[in-house]
Amino acid sequence: MGYSADDEVLRGINFHLRTGSFHFLTGPSGAGKTSLLRLMYLAHRASGGVVRIFNRDIAKTRRSVLPGLRRRIGVVFQDFRLLDHLSARDNVALTLRIGRVREDTIRDHVTELLDWVGLGDHLDAKPPTLSDGEKQRVAIARAVIGRPNLLVADEPTGSVDEYQGVRIMRLFEELNRIGTTVVIATHDRRLISQFNYPVMELDHGTFGITGNN
Amino acid sequence: MFRQHFDLPLGEDGSGRFVPWIVAVMVYLATLSVAAGMAVNRSVDKWDIGLEGTVTVEIAASNAAAENAGERMARALSLLRETAGVRSAIPIPDDEISRLLEPWLGQGDVPLTLPIPQLIDVRLEAGTKLDLDALGTLLANAVPGARLDDHQYWTERLSDFGRSVQITSAFIVALVALAGAGTVVFATRAGLAIHREVIELMHLVGSRDSYIAGQFQAHAMSLSLRGGVVGLALGAATLGVLRGIAAPIEGSLLPTVNITAVAWAVLAALPLLAGLIATITARVTVVRALREMP
Repeated sequence: MGYSADDEVLRGINFHLRTGSFHFLTGPSGAGKTSLLRLMYLAHRASGGVVRIFNRDIAKTRRSVLPGLRRRIGVVFQDFRLLDHLSARDNVALTLRIGRVREDTIRDHVTELLDWVGLGDHLDAKPPTLSDGEKQRVAIARAVIGRPNLLVADEPTGSVDEYQGVRIMRLFEELNRIGTTVVIATHDRRLISQFNYPVMELDHGTFGITGNN
Repeated sequence: MFRQHFDLPLGEDGSGRFVPWIVAVMVYLATLSVAAGMAVNRSVDKWDIGLEGTVTVEIAASNAAAENAGERMARALSLLRETAGVRSAIPIPDDEISRLLEPWLGQGDVPLTLPIPQLIDVRLEAGTKLDLDALGTLLANAVPGARLDDHQYWTERLSDFGRSVQITSAFIVALVALAGAGTVVFATRAGLAIHREVIELMHLVGSRDSYIAGQFQAHAMSLSLRGGVVGLALGAATLGVLRGIAAPIEGSLLPTVNITAVAWAVLAALPLLAGLIATITARVTVVRALREMP
């Protein structure tokens, strides 16, 4: 996969994630983790090779079908990518509104989830007034609110304390238990060692999976 | 059409701030143009209806001593009144001719001092198929200097004039619509550039192009409707002032500035038309831009 013909970022990567599996993705900076994640959450189409998600060859999938597939994927961005003009509540509600969920259902679910991640008192707060840890929790809430089939998280515990980090991982585990396939990209070896999940390792041209896939 | 939630902060950036003002000017110009077109059209219709079923016989003044003006008039009247299809033939009195010529020749007994032709106002039976060319020839042979005017020259020119005004009016409205659409394209592109990151995020979390376009559409429509209503109000006020100015010019050939209920309905549709054009333009612009995304 590359951004142009002579700018190849990923090569020779071949893996299959079982539905309902939980994986870590790790590797040094610049190894291509973010590019791999972008392929997984359909921000890019690969310039070569085959990417199959939800049993669809993405290269051959019509553009009009992609939004429906994206709604089945929850993404936690490393830089949060919250909308500064919207409240925490509306940021989390965004994916549900896009999916045309009823407003009363949205209100109930969003309030409950924000309460769960410890932001029950910040429902109307705008992102610029939140700490990095709080922003990260809003971003996670937005990613999981739609109960996605695939959750892709880029350094989801990077800005929170250890206690919140473990709570967030428990949330991901709960989602995983109800069938969500989870991929967590992280540099945090300690976090990886705390959980017994297979690790995809990407290191400048080499790719391997350790642990039970 | 309007969403309860705007995920895109379109109202908070400056991209569309000028749109209502430009649309207001556009709708103002369109209002005046359409009103002028309709007023001229009504006047042409009125003149046309006024001339329909009438012809005028003109008997030129003659210097020949043998010819008596009264005799020629009597002969012409007799011939006309005996013609099948003629409802009435009434000589136009000298004082009426004086009144008609007053704007050019001033007051006084003009017909007595100048060789002014005598006129006969001829009314035809409704739906008559009278051969006016034959009648004209017959009249000219029977009464030297008599000429029948069926007003065709004037009605054709009036009709041409009315059509020209209508075409010009439609052309102005089309230009205004084009300029309005251009404004919306510019504002929408600016909005797309300003909110690129937000749009990309919405795209990544599964937003359809139509969802994003819908927000731009609603915003463009709201701005255009606001501008359109202001433009219509200004146009209506201008028409009111023009009507006040034109009122004292009684009996002139000036088009009447009176706006009928139908005309008001047409004018009231202009802001809606502006809103519709803005909506469609914004949608097409956004959908085209979003196609560049994967």
